[in-house]
Amino acid sequence: MAKNLVIPIGPQHPSLKEPACFTITLEGEKVVNAVVGTGYNHRGLEKACEARTFIQDLYIIERVCGICSHIHSTTFCQAVEELAGVEITRRAAYIRTIMAELERLHSHLLWLGIAGHEVGFDTLLMYSWRDRELVLDVLAALGGNRVNYGINTIGGVRRDVTPELIEQIRKVADIVEERNKYYIQLALSETTLAARLGGIGKLSHDDAIKFGAVGPVSRAAEVPDDIRVTDPYAAYDEVPVTAITDNHADVFGRTVVRVLEIMESVKMIRFCLDNLPEGDIVTKVPRKIPEGEVLIRTEAPRGEDAHYVRSNGTDKPDRVRVRAASEANWHGMKHMLEGDYLADVPIIIAAIDPCYSCTDRAIILDNHDTGEQSVTDWRSLREYSINWYKVRGIDTSKIKIAYSPLIF
Amino acid sequence: MVALFNILVFPGFIFLGVYALLFEFLDRRIYARLQNRMGPPWFQPLADFLKLIGKEAVIPAEADKKVFPALPIFALAAVTTAFLYVPIWSGNSLLPFSGDLIVVLYLLTIPTLTFFLAGWYSTSVYATVGSMRALTQLFSYEVPLFMALLAPALLADSWSISGISQFYAAHPLYILINIPAFVVAIVSCQGKLERVPFDMPEAETEIVSGTFVEYSGRFYAVFRMAIDAELVVVAAIIAAIFLPFFTANPVVGFILFVVKTIIILFILAVFRSVMARIRIEQMVKFCWKYLVPLAIIQIIVNILLKGVLPL
Amino acid sequence: MSELIAEKQALATILEKFPFLEGKLEIQRRQRIISSALERPLFEEVFGFVTTDGGFDNFHLVIGVDDGDNLGFIYVLSNDDKVMLSLKQSAPKSNPAIKSVCSVFPNALWHERELVDLFGAIVEELPEGPTYPLPDGWPAGNYPLRKEWKVEYFDKVNMTYNPPVTAGKEEE
Repeated sequence: MAKNLVIPIGPQHPSLKEPACFTITLEGEKVVNAVVGTGYNHRGLEKACEARTFIQDLYIIERVCGICSHIHSTTFCQAVEELAGVEITRRAAYIRTIMAELERLHSHLLWLGIAGHEVGFDTLLMYSWRDRELVLDVLAALGGNRVNYGINTIGGVRRDVTPELIEQIRKVADIVEERNKYYIQLALSETTLAARLGGIGKLSHDDAIKFGAVGPVSRAAEVPDDIRVTDPYAAYDEVPVTAITDNHADVFGRTVVRVLEIMESVKMIRFCLDNLPEGDIVTKVPRKIPEGEVLIRTEAPRGEDAHYVRSNGTDKPDRVRVRAASEANWHGMKHMLEGDYLADVPIIIAAIDPCYSCTDRAIILDNHDTGEQSVTDWRSLREYSINWYKVRGIDTSKIKIAYSPLIF
Repeated sequence: MVALFNILVFPGFIFLGVYALLFEFLDRRIYARLQNRMGPPWFQPLADFLKLIGKEAVIPAEADKKVFPALPIFALAAVTTAFLYVPIWSGNSLLPFSGDLIVVLYLLTIPTLTFFLAGWYSTSVYATVGSMRALTQLFSYEVPLFMALLAPALLADSWSISGISQFYAAHPLYILINIPAFVVAIVSCQGKLERVPFDMPEAETEIVSGTFVEYSGRFYAVFRMAIDAELVVVAAIIAAIFLPFFTANPVVGFILFVVKTIIILFILAVFRSVMARIRIEQMVKFCWKYLVPLAIIQIIVNILLKGVLPL
Repeated sequence: MSELIAEKQALATILEKFPFLEGKLEIQRRQRIISSALERPLFEEVFGFVTTDGGFDNFHLVIGVDDGDNLGFIYVLSNDDKVMLSLKQSAPKSNPAIKSVCSVFPNALWHERELVDLFGAIVEELPEGPTYPLPDGWPAGNYPLRKEWKVEYFDKVNMTYNPPVTAGKEEE
């Protein structure tokens, strides 16, 4: 073609799960220019945090991202605890670690499925999401929710792990480890998958440092940058962590890093369960946090999260700044896309495991009108929905709902 | 009257439509079971079809008002015509004549060309990229597919599908010679049917839905039907040429036809579920580097054997 | 507390070059060095030194803060020993002009665009491009992360900012 074709990918596109706009200029099938545009999800979180107390902010911060919600709330809690000069109990630290590693399991399995879907390999999507469902069940049992678990509180955690729960976590860890062996084999040996993932989205070692890439993206370029090792938090000072690196520096390398990290996470969960100390799970933290500023870094499934919290001595923060992992990885995106094929654009975008909401941050739920609070459980919610439809002439009560995730 | 019945009802239009919907159901069901899912109920393809028929059909403002709605009908008509030359209940098709293999292959090229034109006339960027891919793909799979189907014809010394079928039915052991051609045909017909790993013209996650992105309502329904029917016809041709087992009894013969085509469909569905979509340039490379040489070798072997074997 | 050897070493390198910074830089804890606010010409000099000879050549993020009459911009850098240095630049709200660091650290681009949108910073030499992260049609002159900007006065439907008309309150 004589004329270059300009293709918009987004804001609405089947391969994007959240809005963002990539303007791709094509020469034949080759990408010659890429413009990344985000900002569709800016929800004003940081401003919202300034108007609320620390404990209220915790729940806003938890909703920065649906997938790495625990790690965001952990980071924020740590920041506030450090400002207040409070040390959480070891048991609380271990529970946070278990939670963080379970979250990594679910995030990486989710990513594996999405990567499969982006390259047209839907079988992988179905398989890995089926296994992810088990992890989500455990997370729900541990925290109370499938996402936004709400297990963290300032000064510790809200729920303790019981011996039965420990057994359940062990069982799931075993299953996930078993299945993951298959995924590792698949990722390393399936020819069409290797042909699609290898050599695309290159971000070399130097470029990864230059563009400030974090997490699996930088580790796939042999940058051994894992906050769990370099700046241990929670219980990572006691838990043996190995930073997985790879030398492919492409999408294939990122896949390898992620599937191997699942194995590491399983090991860490086992270690935590074996060495879970006794004790309280929560330490009292004063409502008013002393003046000061603090920057906390943690390792989210997608890379480094950094939270900056400044307090002015009241019960409300003066400034909260959230730098999520995706935000750091966007910078190299243009570099990664250019020179590759149009067919590779979705998988390259997916390979940084982007989270647009994280990048743009924030949430404000506009329901200040009533101020009422009530607790609705799943069953009554279902009854409510059945009645809602009955009034409108549709009877859904006959539909059976499978409660077990394992329908084989 | 009988001819009209044959063309419209059996084995023509109505039968092909029903069988195509059944095929789509089986394809989706097998695919789902291989992925550990339940899959759709048997009436799902029919329900989809009826729903699409009932939806508003939008013609983009920039598209050609005459060509745009006509293309799906061309595709379906070509496929339905091709089906008349494929043997179903016995060794003979409805209207066999010498050289119908070539005619059927060309009729089957028409849907791909309509996909290209559909994308081109939609004037959407996604559709344009999709139609370029459809055409590129056509040039890569068409040659190995033709050669793979012509190699058995050379050995049988007949250019009619029915003639080839009858020849191999008479000499069943010669089928084994054509196994490489069978493999080439199965792989390259994935490209013809635009299924994973060769579904680049549609590639939902890259170019939304490629050539069909602007199609909606009844136009899209007809296109879907043409694609399903193409699946049936291709499976039937491969079954007729490479699995030519039939009996004189029309009922048993028909059941045999169903079994054979479903076996082919099963192979295609397994292919679809164990592979990722490859890139267009990888496909061109693969077709010309591996499939074409294999097909050429098959043709040479068949020509040589023709002089040696007692026929 | 560990020995903080790497932190002390990094601090000493900076203080050797800029002895007058004694007291303005502080080791907060392990891996954290924070600075108090520096004015523009001095900040640029210090920033230029620490990012080259100082060894702090990894750029993480810029944090904008509202310090009342001044805006603060905290540049978070780190060196190979994983020591994080938070260098703070301050600029008056009346003229919050700072210089872009994009030419040195390409990953600062979006952070600086954010400062422009949310704090109203005037970032010199910022590459052309779309605004981030506020939506199109956002009223000009509204910088939501400044303390005087209140959510209550913002009309989300019409995208206008309507502060109550009271004497003495200057409209932004």
